[in-house]
Amino acid sequence: MLQRILTATFVMLACVQFAFADSPSVTAVLSNSEATVGETVELQIKVTGPGDARPPEEISIDGLEIRSTGTSRQFEIHNFSTSSSVTYNYTILPLRAGRFAIPPQTVHAGGKILRTPELALNVADAPGQRPQTTTRPGRSTQNQSTNPGDLVFAELIVPKKTAYVGEIVPVQIRMGFDARVHPRLTEPPDITGQGFTAQKLQQSSQNLETINGRPFEVVTFKTAIAAARAGKFEIGPLKATAQVVVPRRRNAPRSRSPFDLFDLDDPFSDPFFSNPFAGFGERRDIQISSDPVALEVKPLPPNAPPSFSGAIGSFTMATDAKPKSVQVGDPITVTTTISGRGNFDRVNAPLLEDDRGWHKYPPSSKFKQDDEVGISGTKTFEMVVSPNENKQSLPVLAFSYFDPAKEQYVTLHSEAMAITVQGGGPAPAVAAQAPSSAPAAAARGRPAVSSSTNPQDILYQLTEPSRAVASFEPLYTRRAFWVAQSLPLAALFVFAGWKIRRRRLDDREARRIGALQHEAAELMHKLRRDEASPQEYYAEASRVVRLKAALASRNRAVDPNAVDAETAAETFKLDTDSCDRLRRLFEQNDEWQYSGTHNGPGKISPENRRDVLELIENLK
Amino acid sequence: MHCSGSVPRFAQRSGYRVALSSTILGLVMAASAFAQADFAKANEEFAQGHFKEAIAGYEALVRAGQWNANLFYDLGNAYFRTRDFGRAILNYERALALDNHHPEATANLQIARDEARALELQPTKLERYLQFASVNQCAIAAAVAFWLGIFGIVALIFARRRSAALLLLSILCLLVGGLAVWAIHTLDTGSEGRGLAIVTGNDVQARLATADTANSVLALPPGSEIKILSTRGDWMYAALPNDLRGWIQTKNAEQVRL
Repeated sequence: MLQRILTATFVMLACVQFAFADSPSVTAVLSNSEATVGETVELQIKVTGPGDARPPEEISIDGLEIRSTGTSRQFEIHNFSTSSSVTYNYTILPLRAGRFAIPPQTVHAGGKILRTPELALNVADAPGQRPQTTTRPGRSTQNQSTNPGDLVFAELIVPKKTAYVGEIVPVQIRMGFDARVHPRLTEPPDITGQGFTAQKLQQSSQNLETINGRPFEVVTFKTAIAAARAGKFEIGPLKATAQVVVPRRRNAPRSRSPFDLFDLDDPFSDPFFSNPFAGFGERRDIQISSDPVALEVKPLPPNAPPSFSGAIGSFTMATDAKPKSVQVGDPITVTTTISGRGNFDRVNAPLLEDDRGWHKYPPSSKFKQDDEVGISGTKTFEMVVSPNENKQSLPVLAFSYFDPAKEQYVTLHSEAMAITVQGGGPAPAVAAQAPSSAPAAAARGRPAVSSSTNPQDILYQLTEPSRAVASFEPLYTRRAFWVAQSLPLAALFVFAGWKIRRRRLDDREARRIGALQHEAAELMHKLRRDEASPQEYYAEASRVVRLKAALASRNRAVDPNAVDAETAAETFKLDTDSCDRLRRLFEQNDEWQYSGTHNGPGKISPENRRDVLELIENLK
Repeated sequence: MHCSGSVPRFAQRSGYRVALSSTILGLVMAASAFAQADFAKANEEFAQGHFKEAIAGYEALVRAGQWNANLFYDLGNAYFRTRDFGRAILNYERALALDNHHPEATANLQIARDEARALELQPTKLERYLQFASVNQCAIAAAVAFWLGIFGIVALIFARRRSAALLLLSILCLLVGGLAVWAIHTLDTGSEGRGLAIVTGNDVQARLATADTANSVLALPPGSEIKILSTRGDWMYAALPNDLRGWIQTKNAEQVRL
């Protein structure tokens, strides 16, 4: 039952999340913006949000062969917040060198038409020499059947050989492990070197590749580096430690491994792999390293534009403002979106080219990255400005960056957005409030010293002080407040005391009644036993009557010793006969008590005893 | 036996009491009369356009502790006339702190803020909801609810029969009392609470550290609201508009609540 409720709650939450999900959005990113002819580059178009998405059917660009390679879907739940996305993968094969622009692609999603950002791809003519490790597995001339170095390799892929100071250079790390060694990374890869900063490594993918006829599990990490100064640097080497299972060295001649089809001296030719039960493998720590990669870092050219804040890359800028019709002094929110690829940490808000007649407030920013390492993305700035005077358009915003591909500074300008500003004087909006307050003051009988005729002026002076001297101290910090609490506290004590006293009185009365009841019951028991002398019998009988009368009048707290025949008769509202019998009982008791003798027989007859018992039992 | 002609002791005592009470009452009334006279004089100066003299008169009354909403409102107007918008806003805020339903102060505060282009602290959504009542109203509500709850609990303790309705009512009262205390805390430490201060200096910069050479966080026009978080020597650390924080010299801002 609980499980059903939980499931239903989960489904409901998911539905609510979907119902209130954000509108769909689309991003596009290239795995690399630099490539050589014949080197494939991956293009990913990611649609985030609800609804079915329809990707571009065909992307055709002269000089590039673009083919769809599949679709992947992601569905994530974080803290009851759900998100779904679809990623459309394409492979781009450059057919010739040049600078290609992949134009915005139209994606239909959730009933909306979305467009991807424009992407740039630089294709070099000469095939790039990928600097990579020397530890690629290959044929060994030595008989090292179980050399762990042959089972792993590492590559450090830096797509550029030259960069500018501060430019973000994407770096890919590929680490391959022979699929049969059950590898486990004990120390994650680390790029050594000085003169640059590296971002946190992000594991990008893990897949199986066949290299030189042997299957390898290849783990790919992505990061980005940025040089801190100009000069020639060595990036790396990359260093990591892994634990792998390798067969034990054996003396017996080994047979050829089925994997070693091409006489590659495969360490897995060891009999351990053909018959795992013939011996046990051992776990061994191995150091993995790659060759360093040379990178030449050039300084940025001089004469940077005033709006340059250190941004290096390729960016586009879009600007919007709301509202477009305001009063003088009213705020206008200017939203600037800078998208592209580069060092977004140095992308600052664009500057107003001419801020005369404008009051500006510090901007806020947020960044949404489109890839794992934050090279591609969109940074949005919101800046509030308010016109001090009549204006027809918003001031032009300028954003400058250095384009390493063009090797020059680029300044983007926003379009001059037309706005309507009403009211030439300061704060007409406030003036509208003043008259609304004035009647309220008049209603309160506040005489005015001077009344201004200027509608933008402040209201009149008040000539009468408020009646009481006020205090800024909150009530709860004043002594009077806490002293006043003593009143209910005292009332509480009185109330509690009264309740306690009443309970005690009630208890005392209850104890008294209990004692009387107990005594009456004891005496009745004795009377029934027929053992007592007449003197004792009548004394006990009259005592029972007194006790019963006292109990019957419990609210009056009657003392049993003070009860006589008349009182008892009145208490029990007896008839005449019973009254007489009761009187006789009390008289006989008195006779026995005061004279010690009786006019009648010295023993009580059973009839008399029964009569007395009947009388007493009927007293209710 | 008393000597003839001597006054009985109880009569003597009551005579002293009456005399003392009369003296105190007389002093209070005299102080009030003087204050009213000073207030009227300051108003006269204002009406004649002698704003600096009017300010001096109003400030003297403030120093004498004759605080009331109208006095601060008039003082705000006098500062407005001298174009000292920071202090004008400060005194309108003080008038509203004493009487949060003061329409003239509300209207003039808005005008002064627009003139000065002063920045305002944005109250949180919770504070906006809680501002339907003042701290003092919440304090009264808390006290009443607390005592009702306690009386209910005591009655339950001594009752022979425990009433479920009385139990629920008591718990409800204590809950209301707790909520009122929480509201007091939220309002008192919020953007309009005891830490609220107004920038009165010109060209004030909130800085990253307690030095004039430290980087600027935000330029604060006069009349801007800040919330004092702590003080260190001549500097105070304050919450600023736009969710920023920075150091400001204490001489450049004054607390609204005296």
